[in-house]
Amino acid sequence: MLEIPTHMDFVGQGKAERWSRLIITLFGVVGLIYGAIVQQFSQTVYVLGLGFLLSSLITIPPWPFYRNNPLKWQKPVITEPKPQSGESSDEGKKKKK
Amino acid sequence: MHTVLTRGNATVAYSLSVLACLTFSCFLSTVFLDYRTDANINTVRVLVKNVPDYGASREKHDLGFVTFDLETNLTSVFNWNVKQLFLYMTAEYKTPSNTLNQVVLWDKIILRGENPVLDFKKMNTKYYFWDDGNGLRDNHNVSLYLSWNIIPNAGLLPSVQATGKHVFKFPSEYATSSI
Repeated sequence: MLEIPTHMDFVGQGKAERWSRLIITLFGVVGLIYGAIVQQFSQTVYVLGLGFLLSSLITIPPWPFYRNNPLKWQKPVITEPKPQSGESSDEGKKKKK
Repeated sequence: MHTVLTRGNATVAYSLSVLACLTFSCFLSTVFLDYRTDANINTVRVLVKNVPDYGASREKHDLGFVTFDLETNLTSVFNWNVKQLFLYMTAEYKTPSNTLNQVVLWDKIILRGENPVLDFKKMNTKYYFWDDGNGLRDNHNVSLYLSWNIIPNAGLLPSVQATGKHVFKFPSEYATSSI
């Protein structure tokens, strides 16, 4: 079966948020300057909308480059099954937690 | 920021915040501008009649008839925070019963992009120039003012009066012939 990974790692999430903020802010500032020059506030809004679309395209889908820093999981510790004596009740408590 | 939905939410919310900031900047860039400009107003024909005011009391009130010339250039009023102007012309005068009477005689809407250079000749008023008594006949100090409301994209709704005004007087006899 085809398995498409849809997650971002933690570094990727940070990157996505930073890029989205940067792109939208940049387009907003450029739009404000452009709108002030041509004296049309609608142009400012359009430029900001363009930044919104670009930012959505770049940072919303979980692109593969947001998965370059996978977590290093510890290897599962295989414990020997202990002989059932008086500790069985203790294990039961841990599982409940 | 761990799912598509949270990222989408954050992007939309931040875009709207930036839009609010930009709108506020647009407001700040125009809030201290001086929107006053000059207007040339002239009356062409002035007469006054004494006719029953059926709209109010059926008593005979003074009704003024005025045609006017108006010349003004409103190009400097328009900027990126002005969507349209609402121009209106008022007559101000004093009567024994009221120290200040204001009557709107005429108005006009100018959208941004329409011709802001006005040059009207012999315009009729749009609205009746009723006095609430008999204060128009022989009134020697009636002032015509041009004012406008600015409808902006964001911010205040300034009401501006043009610097030019015109003072005229009504004749001392009622007109009898039909206009």
